[in-house]
Amino acid sequence: MSKHTYAGKAAIVGIGATEFSKDSGRSELRLALEACAAACDDAGISPSQVDGLSTFTMETNPESEIMRGLGIDELTHFSRIHFGGGAPCATIQYAAMAVATGVSDYVIAYRAFNERSGRRFGAGVQDRPAGATAEEAQFAWTSPFGLLTPASWVAMFATRMMHEYGVTSRDFGAVAVADRRHAANNPAAHFYGQPITIDDHQNSRWIIEPLHLLDCCQETDGGQAILVTSVERARDLKQPAVIIEAAAQGMADDQQMMRSFFRDSLVGLPEMGTCARQIWETSGLGPDDVKTAVLYDHFTPFVLAQLEEFGFCGRGEAKDFMANGNIEIGGRLPVNTHGGQLGEAYLHGMNGVAEGVRQVRGTSVNQVERAEHVLVTGGTGVPTSAVMLGADR
Amino acid sequence: MSDELLSRMREVVGQHSEPSLARHAIGTAAIADWCDAMGEDNPCYTDPEFAAKSRHGGIVAPPATLDIWTRPGLPAQASLARRCGKDPLSRVMAMVEAEGFIGVVAVNSELEFARYLRPGDLLQGVQVMEDVSEEKQTALGIGHFVTTRTKYSTVEGEHVGDLLFRILKFRPGTGARPAAATDDEPKPPDASPALRPRPAINRDNQALWDGYRTHELRLPQCQGCQRVFFPPSPRCAQCGSFDMAYVVSEGHGTVYSHVAVHYPQAPGFAYPVPVALVELDEGPRMVADLVGVSRDQLEIGMPVEVDWLDSHPAVVDGATDSRGPVTLPRFRPAAPPRRTETRTVGSVSEGDPLPLWVLPITPTRIVAGALATRDFQDVHHDRDLAHKKGSADTFLNINTSMGFMERYVCDWAGPEAVVTALRVKLGAPAYPYHPLTFTGSVKSVDATTGRVVVEVAATNTLGRHVAGTVELELNP
Repeated sequence: MSKHTYAGKAAIVGIGATEFSKDSGRSELRLALEACAAACDDAGISPSQVDGLSTFTMETNPESEIMRGLGIDELTHFSRIHFGGGAPCATIQYAAMAVATGVSDYVIAYRAFNERSGRRFGAGVQDRPAGATAEEAQFAWTSPFGLLTPASWVAMFATRMMHEYGVTSRDFGAVAVADRRHAANNPAAHFYGQPITIDDHQNSRWIIEPLHLLDCCQETDGGQAILVTSVERARDLKQPAVIIEAAAQGMADDQQMMRSFFRDSLVGLPEMGTCARQIWETSGLGPDDVKTAVLYDHFTPFVLAQLEEFGFCGRGEAKDFMANGNIEIGGRLPVNTHGGQLGEAYLHGMNGVAEGVRQVRGTSVNQVERAEHVLVTGGTGVPTSAVMLGADR
Repeated sequence: MSDELLSRMREVVGQHSEPSLARHAIGTAAIADWCDAMGEDNPCYTDPEFAAKSRHGGIVAPPATLDIWTRPGLPAQASLARRCGKDPLSRVMAMVEAEGFIGVVAVNSELEFARYLRPGDLLQGVQVMEDVSEEKQTALGIGHFVTTRTKYSTVEGEHVGDLLFRILKFRPGTGARPAAATDDEPKPPDASPALRPRPAINRDNQALWDGYRTHELRLPQCQGCQRVFFPPSPRCAQCGSFDMAYVVSEGHGTVYSHVAVHYPQAPGFAYPVPVALVELDEGPRMVADLVGVSRDQLEIGMPVEVDWLDSHPAVVDGATDSRGPVTLPRFRPAAPPRRTETRTVGSVSEGDPLPLWVLPITPTRIVAGALATRDFQDVHHDRDLAHKKGSADTFLNINTSMGFMERYVCDWAGPEAVVTALRVKLGAPAYPYHPLTFTGSVKSVDATTGRVVVEVAATNTLGRHVAGTVELELNP
């Protein structure tokens, strides 16, 4: 494996989002267009200058409708990434590759949905028709037995982490406490002004034992867009360029969609390890260079595994690494300074990319000093992605 | 009114019935049938060589059989109600029913053993009215507890044991009303297994699901390199062969991980649902929900065995479902092993837990238990008549429940543990398809007498079926 050749050649120049709510009152397409237009405004370009789009296969708003709504004449790149929440940083990677290779000039990565007032992901796959594709057939090994939701799939890994590493529910709770502390300071967060204690976490009801309600992310209505262009063009725009120092996708070790129950060990995230190796090799950085990170937090247990996969601590040591507020603002590695998907909003990780951009720009509500390199990760337990964002110097 | 009734009923206390004489002497065939029905493997009951060398010096009958031998048999069943009009219990029943206490439920059954029964013993039983309680408010209604004792002896007059039996006669509709459900508590979804999500069956997994329908736990096997793996794939990642077949798993494994699903609640499941990732002895892991066990009884490494759920029937509302029937492999905790060395009193301590035992209850098991205990009451073998009598299904008779309880404790204590008493309080019925989960612990140990009391409970999804004690004597 070698350094990715597009690394350092593309930059994020605009971020745009709708408000995050439980009932947006408007269509998913409108949310997407509002977010995309806001990202262009942030960068100071006209939406019609956009010539590339990248999004999730789960996105319901097709590139054609975005193109029509934004008044784009011509698209030269449009790509979609599969596997749900694993995609956010990969949309940034595809955008970076498109602009670094001259395929497109301005690429928007976007994700928008009414995920609370419309189709709720927390309801799981119980209402999904049992088709017979290879992908649908994999659900045959879990759904008829009662594992119907992402929470239920992740909980199976969590029990194993508790068994092998001596992790406790309180350790998982430390992630929720950190997220909610950060969200409490973020006016855009759903849980603005509502921090929690570890006791609140422990007393919250069971969703899937061993996961409490407060181990689980929110369901959100909203949209988030990220505008990517070349570093050269970026330097002529309104905002300081946020360099895409490295980006990666990862799939590994008998991968399944959040249900990799058949691999040898359930206490790591090998697909995230694949991302970590590429990120460190390509960026030339190491854990000591990173002062803050946005680690995908649909459920708390996998935040611990990510700390370990990226080498912020050794295997099984995340619970100790996180002790004494080390992942909160003021600690060794403040994580999810926007409040994460537990505290701010669940936008399939795209809002986390935006927070990474704000940290590099120096505009986060929970700004970390000398945040020159910020790691952002995609969904955990699924085939995933990660990106390293850095300041332009 | 009730004072007058009570004094009339209490006049019966102390009165005896005519002796009821067993039609046949105890025989080894009947003992063996009883053991088959209970899954009882204690060689003292069936293996003459082992039994001869045991403390009993020969074959003995399981103590829990004490009250089955004097039963009248199938031909007499129909006329039983008329025949028994003369015994003290029948007299009390007539008095209490005349005052509107027509409801009846068995409350306690206690067997006390003076000695083990042997083939050739010919028994007789004499019923004595032991007690009639004052009027009491119970959960079922206002009623009286009526207690009889049946003394069993050989025809030669040797006392061999007693059955103490307590029923509640109550006025229907006078019980405590269940608290009204509040509006903000959503009704749980229908737990009928047919409402579970159907598996997506395609060319790559069809052979496995076909096997499940015949209760064969198939695992994919590559015919190129013989590798067994899971889930299936059309191509072997190890040797590249597309030649796929299957092996049949023995269905034994251990819990690798587990969860309990509380929310959201989907139709087809009874929440919370314990679900395990089971590592089969053949190597592969599979996800399955667990039967007869709650998550707090689960631990990683616990042995489990397959337990089939025929979830989606072939015919729905009189029409064939074109998608075909579905059977799901589930798992239950593996039956604890039967101990072959008998424990000594010094080797047990107060508080010692007994291993969890989950016993599937099938219609066959209910019928076999009823017949082996010579109980021909129709509610234990005829579902139509059980329905007609207001029962949801046929249900296990008390003798079978007590037989399982005795087996459970002796499997733990060893073949030559001496059972001196079985005492149970009766609860929820044991219907087919609701497995019974037995748990137990040592309540007391007397090192000087060797007397050990073990507390046992058997529960199912309806609640506690029986709870009580098994009293043992163990050697020093």
